[in-house]
Formats: sequence, C-alpha cells, structure tokens
Amino acid sequence: MSAPAPPRLAIRLLEALLPEESRDVLIGDLTESWQQAGAHGPGAYLRFWHEAVTALFALQIVPDHVSAYVPSTRESRMQSFLADLRQAVRVLSRARGFTLLCVGTLGLAIGATTAIVSIANPLLLQAVPYDDADRLVMVNERGGDGRATNVGYATYADLRRDSRSLQRSAAFGSWEPTVFGEHDAERLRGLRVSWEYFRTLGVRPVIGRDFLASDDTPDHYNVVILGHGLWNRRFAADPGIIGKTVDLGDTRPVVIGVMPASFENVLDPTSQIWRALGYDAQDWACRDCRHLKMVGRLRDGTTHAAAGSELEALMQRMASQFPTVYVGAGAVVERLQDRVTQNTRTIFVAVLGAVTLLLLIAVANVVNLQLARAARRDGEFAVRAALGAGRSRIARQLFSEGLVIAIGGGVAGVVIAALALPTLVAQLPASLPRLASIRLDWQVLALVAFVVLLVAVVMGMVPALQAGRRGLFDAIRGGARSGGGGTPHHRTRAGLVVAEVALAMMLLVGASLLGRSLVRLLSVDMGFDPSGLITMEVQATGTAYETAGQVYGNHDRIREAVRAVPGVIDVGLTSQLPLGGNFDRYGLRDRDNLPTEPSRGTDADRYAVSWDYMRAMRIPVVRGRAFTEAESLDSTAHVTIVSDALARRMWPGGDAIGKYIRIGGGDDRPYFQVIGIAGNARHTGLDETVTQQVYVPERQWYWPEQTIALVVRVSGSASRAIPAVREAVRSVDPLQPISRVATMDQVVARSTGQRRLGVMLFTAFGGMALLLAAAGIYGVLAGAVAERTREFGVRTALGATPRSIVSLVLRQGVVLAGTGLLLGAGGAFALSGYLRSLLFGVEANDPVAMLVGASAILLVALAACFVPAHRATSVDPASALRSD
Amino acid sequence: MLGELEQVVLLATLRLGDEGYGVTIQDAIRRATGRDLTLGTIHKTLVRLEAKGLVASRIGESAPHRGGRRKRHYAVTADGVRLLRASIRGLRRMAAGLAVGLEPA
Repeated sequence: MSAPAPPRLAIRLLEALLPEESRDVLIGDLTESWQQAGAHGPGAYLRFWHEAVTALFALQIVPDHVSAYVPSTRESRMQSFLADLRQAVRVLSRARGFTLLCVGTLGLAIGATTAIVSIANPLLLQAVPYDDADRLVMVNERGGDGRATNVGYATYADLRRDSRSLQRSAAFGSWEPTVFGEHDAERLRGLRVSWEYFRTLGVRPVIGRDFLASDDTPDHYNVVILGHGLWNRRFAADPGIIGKTVDLGDTRPVVIGVMPASFENVLDPTSQIWRALGYDAQDWACRDCRHLKMVGRLRDGTTHAAAGSELEALMQRMASQFPTVYVGAGAVVERLQDRVTQNTRTIFVAVLGAVTLLLLIAVANVVNLQLARAARRDGEFAVRAALGAGRSRIARQLFSEGLVIAIGGGVAGVVIAALALPTLVAQLPASLPRLASIRLDWQVLALVAFVVLLVAVVMGMVPALQAGRRGLFDAIRGGARSGGGGTPHHRTRAGLVVAEVALAMMLLVGASLLGRSLVRLLSVDMGFDPSGLITMEVQATGTAYETAGQVYGNHDRIREAVRAVPGVIDVGLTSQLPLGGNFDRYGLRDRDNLPTEPSRGTDADRYAVSWDYMRAMRIPVVRGRAFTEAESLDSTAHVTIVSDALARRMWPGGDAIGKYIRIGGGDDRPYFQVIGIAGNARHTGLDETVTQQVYVPERQWYWPEQTIALVVRVSGSASRAIPAVREAVRSVDPLQPISRVATMDQVVARSTGQRRLGVMLFTAFGGMALLLAAAGIYGVLAGAVAERTREFGVRTALGATPRSIVSLVLRQGVVLAGTGLLLGAGGAFALSGYLRSLLFGVEANDPVAMLVGASAILLVALAACFVPAHRATSVDPASALRSD
Repeated sequence: MLGELEQVVLLATLRLGDEGYGVTIQDAIRRATGRDLTLGTIHKTLVRLEAKGLVASRIGESAPHRGGRRKRHYAVTADGVRLLRASIRGLRRMAAGLAVGLEPA
C-alpha cells in the first residue's frame, strides 16, 4: 500500500495531548482508517484533522475523574486548559455578534499597531546594519548658521591625515551617471566614494574586490562597484562581470566588484553604483566647495566625546589657517545612527504614540463589551458558583474567553498588517533609509503575541474582579434591579468609556494640530509660484558634450524647443531646484569688507541659472534689476543677484546693489557685481527659517553644469502639458536622459511627504478612535436604558414627557463624553509638547485644534445617544411594569 | 437504561464478535445506520462502557498499516448483554401497538 503518511502535525498533537491509556490505540485506529481510505485528496486530510480534533476534545472527558486521584502533571494541566478553550469557543460561537465585534475591533487596532511597529522597527529601534555600528560617526563642518554642513575635499583630507581618534574615514558625494544599454539609457543613483568607504562601514564586495588606494587617484578612478540589485537587473547577475566595462556615455569604467544583496547603503539608500572619488589633495582639492560628506569609524577605546573635541580642535586650527574659507569654524560630530534616524525619529515616535493610544482605546472598548456581557451573564455565573465552581474556575473561564477573542484579534491584526504594509511602505519617501528592511518579522510577531496575552488577561481580570465583588445572592435574585448606575459594573464601564473618549480626544487634537501645521506650511510664501510649473532634469553626457560651449548650446536649444510648445509661457534653467533636495552651498566674501574672523562670514545656496529662470519661477526682483539676456550670454560680465535675506545679512542697513562678492574660496576667482535683490525662496524645506540664495548666469559660473533642471511655466494644467514638453526636449537630442519629471506642486508635496504621512496616519487613527469611543458610549447608554426599562415605564405612567426622558438619557451621555473630553484635553495639553517639533505655525495648545477635537467628539457622542434615547421614550408603561 | 450512543456501540461490538475494535466498529455503525461517528466518540464511549463493566478489552497485535501501533479489542460482557437485552426489550415495549410502522415486520 503506497498511501502517503497521515498528517504528521496532527499525529504529534495527538501524541502530546492524548491521555496515555488511549494514545496508542486511538492513533492506531486513525492511521488504519487513513490507510483504508482510497484516495488521499484534500478531503482525506480534512477528515483526518476532523477525527484528530474531535478525538482530542472527546477524550478530555476521561481524565476528569482520573485527575482527582492523579497528581496534576503538565500534561493534564494542558488538557484542562484545552478544555477551557474548547468551552470558551463554544460559548463565544453562541454569541457571534459580540465575538465578531470584539475580534474586529482588536484586529483593526492590533493590525495598525503591527504595521506601524514593523515600519518603525528598522527605522528607529534597530542599529544600522553594520558591524560595531555605534563606532560609526558622521563628521560635518559647522556652517554659518551653526548647523552641520558638508565638507570640501581638502578639509576631509586634512582631518583624515591628522585625526588620531578616527581609525578610518571616507568622503563621499552624490553621482548620477547614466548607463547606456543596447536600446535604452537609464539614469542611476550612485555615489563617488573615497577608497576606504566600504572598509569604514565594515562591508566588502561579495564578488571581486574592494577599492584600493591606487584606484582613488585622478588618473585611475575609472573603476566601479555595483549594487547587487543593479547587477541582477541590468547585468543578468553575470558572474563574469568583473573586468568588464560599463557604458556610462562619457566614460567606460571597469567593474571591479559587486556588493552583497544584504548590503544596505543607509547613507544614501537609493544608490546602486559606486565610483572611486579620484581626487587629489594637491590639484583638485577645494575647501570651500562643500559637496562631500564624511563618515568615520572611531578607533577602539576612543569615546565619542573625545573624538568630538579632537575634531573640533582640528577644525578650529584649519579655520585660523584659512580664515576666508571657514565660516562656522568647528566640527559637528554625530553618531551615524542618529544621523540616519534624525529626520524620521520625531514623526515615527509620534505615530507610535498615536497607535498605542488607538490600541488602548480598542482594549477599553472590548473590555467594556465583555463587561456588558458579563452583566447579562450574572445569572449563569451564579448558577455555576452554586454548583460548586470556585472563583478561580470562573476566572479561568473568563480568561479563556478573553484569550480566544484576543487570539482572534491578533490573527486578524497580523493579516490586516500584512495586507496593509506594502501600501503603507509605498507611501513612504523612497529616500528613507532601511525601507528594504521593513517586514513582519519575529520581533514584531512576538510583540503581537505579548499584546494578545495582555488583552486576554485584562479581559479576564476585569469581569472576574467585578464578579467577585458582588454577592452571589444579588445575582441570583436578578442583579441589576437597583438600576441607577451605582453598581460596580456601571462605574467600571462608565470609567472605561470616559477613558476611551479622553484618548480619542488626544488623538483628534494631535491630528488637527498636524493637519493645521500642514495647511499653514503649504500656505507659506515659498518665494515662487509652484502652480502651472513643470520641472525635469536633463543630463548632458557623452561625446557630444565635451566642451562648455557644447553644453551651453544644448541648453539654449532645449529652451528654444520648449518655448515653441503651445501653452508654454516661460522657460528657465537652473543648476538646482528649490525644495528639490539639492545642497550646493558656497561661502561668500564682500570685496570691500573681508571678514576678519570666520564667524562673520556667510554662505548661500548657489544657483547657476539662465537669465529667464527667475521670471519662469515668478521669483520677484525686489530691488535693482533682473539679468538681461545679453549679459547672461557674456561669460565675462560677472553679475549676480542675491536674495533679500542674504543682502540683509551681508550688508545690514546698507545697500547691496553695486557691491562685489566672491563666491567660493579660490583667490583666483572673479568678483561678481550685485545687480539685484530677489525675494527669498525656500530651498531646503517649507519649514526652514534661514534662506539665503545667490544667483549667477550659468555661462559666468566656473564650469558648465552637466545636469540641469528645466522649469517650464504653462497656461492651464501642468501635468497635462508634460508629454509635449518632454517630447520637445527629446527632439533636441533623443539620447540625453530626462529624469525627475514632475509638476512643481508635486515637488512641493514631496518635500512635505513625512508630514503628510503623519497627518494621514493621525487622522486615520483619530477617526477609528472616534468610532470606538462612540460605540463605547452607545453600549453603555443602551445597557443603562435596557436596565432602566421599568423606571422609564413608571416615569411615563406618572406623566413624564418623551422630551424629559430623552434629556435624562442625553444627560448621562453628555456627562460621559464631557468628562472624557475634559480629561482628554488635559492629556492632549500635557502630551502636545512631544508634537511641538512637528508643528509649524501653530502652538501646541492651539485652541482651534482643541475645538476641532471637542466638537467632533460631542457630535459623535450625541449621535451615539440618539438610538438609546429614542428607545427609552418608546417604552410601553404597561408592559414594562408587567415585565418582572 | 443505556444511552443511545452506548446502545449502538454495544450492538456493533456484539455483532463483530472477535473482530471488534475502533475502526471496525466505526465501519459497522456506518454501514448499518449511515451515521458517521468519529473514532474519538467511539473510543470515549467504549471507555465509558468498560468503566461500567459492560465491555471487556484486551490489547491486540500491532500492524504496519496502523503505524506500528497496537489495537484494543473489545468484547461485550455478560452484564453488557443482559443490559442490552433489557434496554432493547424496553424499547420494543415502548413501540408496541403504535401504528406508525415500528412493529417488527
């Protein structure tokens, strides 16, 4: 006979749980019956499992009288636990509505919690995925505003040479090469890295070799290391890739290595290709072009504080050596871990807090439902107790019921989280580090199990305590006769509802605070007009663009072609886009007032632009004049426009027009004459406070920009005009890669992505909380009305009007909601401090936000009162009085 | 008085003579009544009957088609037969004279 073996798991279970005297015989019978069955399709498996499970349950009966004589063993305790569960399932399957409501409520809350924790886990809680990650630091120069900025290569090289506290360090900068295939070209995100980059992080290629010092020179930097994903996708995971070249248009570097699939580049999560930096401290190095970042690994035994003060001292020394170059004079050293999480920590801590509140509300709601049910079951418990069930027996039953419900909720929650997680992750900005590590892992599942257990205990404890507090005879006599709401049941339930309302209020206030911040943020004066604006990046790469003239000529042709598109009003080009995530900052010096000490200098975001860029962006020239087309074509004119904030900073009280400034540190560089003052534009974010810009015609800048952003203002819908504009750019040169195509509105929205996410999640959780609180209020009132049926009957018989009865019920509801509301407002006030750093333009104790929360709660509370109140008025006095 | 389940299981065991154990009893009941009792239920009933002294059991041989596990053979005791007889007789008396097709043909 060649039947498959019976399901092993079922057999294991039976072996573990059946009483010994039945074990062999019964499993043997089951096996024999399995063997006899002809076909072994799904039906046979189902039947076997059915047999196994019923066998388990059926034979629980046996040890009942045996166990009285046998000392309790682990096995029999397990069996009686199973019996409890079986009993609970049976009881709950009779109360289907109650069970579904509880499981659904818990499922939603646990699902939300699970999803959020899964996201926050790698982002906030886990260490960055490198060996001895706490030894890794980011080393920054202190900028003019006192905050961390990038470093120039010479600064990095000096620090690397002189620092004793850094065992290794590396510099890296962004690099966006275009890889050409047979039929297509693809813009890649990559990094240029000094040769010790991977060694500093403590990772090495899985195929091929790492960079060597000899790769990282101006003559030999033409080698790349590929990310595992890129290698898979674009090079078909070719194991012989090492030594082959990659066509990047203007260069054809040799592949020397492939990073392992497990490597996460948290310093720049989307980069997939790495090139040796190839700088030389002698020739190419500059101190003032701060376009590199520096990462270091502390030497063993060096503390973070010691490293911080050593690097600070080194930077101070450099600043006194080159006083014209260094503005802030100092070093900002931060742990890599902190750097990676700094932008996400506050928002995710807030969202974690929010989801915890939601979970608490859900638990309160379920406990409340359980209490309501327990009140109706007083009779049942009393009879059990009279028949000899001890309090612990009844408590065990309640715990089992709680456990079954909580497990149901946990399973539902995990399913919901698993379904929702991909959608949620898709909402996260792609630049977020560690996105790839977001998953439902065992840590998260362990947390879910813990929550389930906790919920089960609470659900079992509260009604059991309640039951214990009441006398047996009360219950048998028919318990809640006293009405009035003074019984412990009622007090506990009312307390739970008040707590729910308070927590919901806190969530709603948080949501409206964040929402109002976002509205305020989007209505700030950005300094330009984003509506009707299209942006895209165009890259000049390949042999057609080797000279500056070829690049500029291409830019001119692109502008002409786009201008010819119907509906286009203005076209401009810029080296970087406001809110586009670029960081291109230079130190500035006034020719006639050279700063005597570094801290008096300043720096600004440098924009190399076409003459019509500011017109296309609608950035106003508030004083002086705009660039003329003629002067912008003259590479020797050297004119500049500075932002208002910059003018005030450099010439407080004076006139900026006509002054001469040098941009960047090189002493051979020309002075630019200030011809105009422009309105301030928000560069790094809508919520930034300091914004200083300096604009230069692109032909007058020291080098041509390989990558340039195009801004196109159209009449009518920006998104609808995109294809035509794109086609126009393509028509100039079909091979040049076009990327980051978006409307400016989208760019603005993306720059507020995390806030949007926060608002979305807080609103969703707040809405759920509101519904749960309303359900709680409804439940308590409905219960109270049902118990007071007699009273209402008497009142009606004695001539009470429907209106007075409605107001009786409403008063109870309003007291509940109002108490919760006040407590919640207090709680929101106390906790809103945690939100403060996420707020913009509103105070943490914003009265409008409080009002929004309060009115939402009152509205929903009144709605929840309506049905019970109506029911109270429709009590028929005669039948109510007869009903006992 | 015997429970209905006990009656059915006892009758099946009696009918099977020497060959009565879980699987065969299940088969016999299914064939005669169309009822599909689970082995767990049958086993539970047999344990209860044995505790009342109505059946006796002995451990049988193990077999490969049982996963190497042994059988427990059951036989109805004299007490069991007596009680079964009384029970069935009672049923007959209850049915006697009712003109709804319960009389033996």
